Amino acid sequence: MKKVLFLAVAATFSAAAFANAPAGSQAPGFTVTDLTGKPVNLADYKGKTVVLEWHNFGCPFVQKHYKSGNMQSLQKKYGNDVVWLAVNSTNKGSSDWQDPPVVTKELNGFGAAPAKYLVDEPGTIGRAYGAKTTPHMYIIDPSGKVVYNGAIDDKRSTDVADVKVAKNYVVAALDEMKAGKPVSTASTTPYGCTIKYK
Amino acid sequence: MTLPRVLLAGFIAAALPLFAAPVVKTEHVEAQLLPEQTHAQPGKTVVVGLRLQMIPHWHTYWKNPGDSGLPTRIKWTLPAGWSASAFQWPHPKNLPVGPLNNYGYEDEVVLLTELTVPADAKPGTVPIKASADWLVCKEICIPEKGDLDLALKVDAAPPAESDRWKPSFERARAMLPVTDAALKADAGITGKNVVLRLALPAGLPAKVTFFPERDNVIEAAAPQRVARSGDALLVEMKLQDPVPKDFTVLKGVVVGQGAWPGTADRRAMEVSAPVGSPIAMAAGSTGGGGTSGSGSGTSGNEVGGSVATALLFAVLGGLLLNLMPCVFPVLGIKVMGFVEHAHGDAKALRLQGIVFTVGVLVSFLVLAGLMLALRAGGTQLGWGFQLQSPAFVTLLAMLFFVLALNLAGVFEWGLFAQSMTSDVSAKGRNADAFLAGVLATVVATPCTAPFMGAAVGFTLAQPAAVSLAVFFALGAGMALPVLLLSFFPALLKKLPKPGAWMETFKQVMAFPLFATVAWLAWVLGAQSGNDGVFGLLLGLVTIAVGAWIYGRWAHSESTLRPVFAVLFAALGVYVAWPDATASVTPGVAANKAGELPWQAWSPEKVAELTAAGKPVFVDYTAAWCVTCQVNKRVVLNSSAVVAAFAQRGIVPLKADWTNNDPRITQSLQELGRNAVPVYVLYLPGEATPRLLPEVLTSSLVLAEIDKLPTGAKTAITQR
Repeated sequence: MKKVLFLAVAATFSAAAFANAPAGSQAPGFTVTDLTGKPVNLADYKGKTVVLEWHNFGCPFVQKHYKSGNMQSLQKKYGNDVVWLAVNSTNKGSSDWQDPPVVTKELNGFGAAPAKYLVDEPGTIGRAYGAKTTPHMYIIDPSGKVVYNGAIDDKRSTDVADVKVAKNYVVAALDEMKAGKPVSTASTTPYGCTIKYK
Repeated sequence: MTLPRVLLAGFIAAALPLFAAPVVKTEHVEAQLLPEQTHAQPGKTVVVGLRLQMIPHWHTYWKNPGDSGLPTRIKWTLPAGWSASAFQWPHPKNLPVGPLNNYGYEDEVVLLTELTVPADAKPGTVPIKASADWLVCKEICIPEKGDLDLALKVDAAPPAESDRWKPSFERARAMLPVTDAALKADAGITGKNVVLRLALPAGLPAKVTFFPERDNVIEAAAPQRVARSGDALLVEMKLQDPVPKDFTVLKGVVVGQGAWPGTADRRAMEVSAPVGSPIAMAAGSTGGGGTSGSGSGTSGNEVGGSVATALLFAVLGGLLLNLMPCVFPVLGIKVMGFVEHAHGDAKALRLQGIVFTVGVLVSFLVLAGLMLALRAGGTQLGWGFQLQSPAFVTLLAMLFFVLALNLAGVFEWGLFAQSMTSDVSAKGRNADAFLAGVLATVVATPCTAPFMGAAVGFTLAQPAAVSLAVFFALGAGMALPVLLLSFFPALLKKLPKPGAWMETFKQVMAFPLFATVAWLAWVLGAQSGNDGVFGLLLGLVTIAVGAWIYGRWAHSESTLRPVFAVLFAALGVYVAWPDATASVTPGVAANKAGELPWQAWSPEKVAELTAAGKPVFVDYTAAWCVTCQVNKRVVLNSSAVVAAFAQRGIVPLKADWTNNDPRITQSLQELGRNAVPVYVLYLPGEATPRLLPEVLTSSLVLAEIDKLPTGAKTAITQR
């Protein structure tokens, strides 16, 4: 009886924090391993603009942006000025989970070029940032502040053809930052698949 | 990767009879266009439904899909002169997914569209075509689409309702939100929440759920709180951060759980509430029996339930604490006090029960406040952190030892003891009751660690108010038995009458306390080594001398008695006090035969072993963590597990958090934890380690290990 109760209490309380990192707030720090098993610390990129892209190849919304070549071109567009970190918070039990070698293969197949691909299997980073969907985009400025939080663009759909006609919020924000201007659209509603949290 | 495979059903010949709407079947959905009436009439409207029949457990979305997803869309191809309205959406239900929430439909939904028929439409059959697309999800999501068509008859005669699809249309119509001007609605923002106030002359259901039309205003997964304020119903919801600047009207659908007074079959209403000045949320949730958790779903889902469940389990956990070896003696003394008073003044007894409860609650809230303050200060601590301090362990050991000596009858408390007898003033008795409450909480600490670890893990994720509520509930649960006894003295009368047995009982209660001291000495041993334990024990003996002097000459008027008693006690504390510099490197003492061959953990060691392709098991543990010890003895050192580890070449590493080790704290943090136990299995070829549950069973560990190849295979790969 006691053990049952204890298990019940533990199970009830084990829900981890689901926080939020709204535009204007300090970006939550993290250390996590990338696809190759090497640790990546957000603090390593202090002084640089960092883009976080929540990712899951199993998601049709993500597929839209890779099949159209949109996401890969963004990853390359700003060269070394922008550190692009793809984050995958899919839990191992999900049917969308892919082992690192499989992800690497798919990334190569798509010609994707994130600086690092972070494996956030416990969902710690996702929960700290309040990431809801794949894709869900964050831009962190060189001082470590979140300056954009939201959707990749304004066309909520899985239709590849929509990419061309959509207004890309991330491009708009990065261009403004490059021009030394404040980001005019700092918050939008992300769209996509639910992140498969543990 | 799954791609939508659209299996279009074959078209049946052009001359379709009216009722045989062709069905488009996809992997997860059957879709078709249905006419509500037998035929269309020129110059009038006709309703056509898009029926989606989902396979079990899969869902499609409402117009606002919530945290993710996509609303179903339709594009019409109509004969010249015809036009189509937008969808009329039946009300959705909550579809919680992990920490997120969606709004949508399971099983079947019929989305209604009104087609306007031109006045010059010729009688006959017209083709109605539409291309619909929808996202259908269970855990994963599949975009699907279908090209649908319907041969609709046009006739000048007034149409009748079509019988074939009547149940589907009736269900859809019942779920359509009603627009009623009598519904008064307004909203106000208070801090991070918005409160929606609803009033209807005929009255409102006891419980409601609100579904917002906009996707960027309300946190879809946050529980909604429903309360009654006079005739109005208040719904408190968490706002998204940031709140959009153009948020001036809160629009959406309010769904009643249970009947709407004065209506037969109303289920939902349209709401358009201007956002004005703040509306105070009524305390206590809802007069209609609703609780904080129940406001969030017509389908009884878990979105809002977690806090209510947490509170319930906190009360149960609190109750359970009374049986813990650390708390039971304190409780025993308290109940004994009651027994003495049982035949006295019932009112005074009740007051004492309340004061004891207040003492417990205040202590819990102080502890919770401390945790919150530390959290706000950014200190990374887990519950049990105080037990990482040898000084605290020593202090607790001394406190328990002195209490145990007292119970064993070595000495009486003097002034303190008087307050336990019946002839003292009510004031003194109440002070004693309060202190007993505080004491019960404080001494409970070591036994509560496993519970608190979990509670703190939960509350860290919650707003301060929820954290405090959870701790409050724990305290309430712990105080409950005493409170009940004080209110129903009849129960006390069932207890034996006061007498000599009480002295025996009291003395017996000394032994669990002595046992606790023994355990604390062992904890200290893990922290400060053998010398630390010797210091503690020697100090305790010296304290015992002081206590004995105090008790032996209890009736002496000489000042020497208190002087010597205090002198010895002080000397004892000095001797027992741990040397701050003497700390053992926690590591691995000699491993016994038949146990796992533990090695000390370090991040480098893990990296080195995993790089070499070895499977690694890490046990994040601490001497003061009772759950850890139970897991180790019962599961990890069981012969089956030991054999399985050996067979598969798993290297067991022990990360000992008995003393605060920042490297372990950081490692735990990276794993998303802040308390022990944590069990992690690193397998070759897997980049992220596997986390095992906190409470282990042999079968669970063996099942995880079974995924690994056995030793023979490992040997081959190593060659």
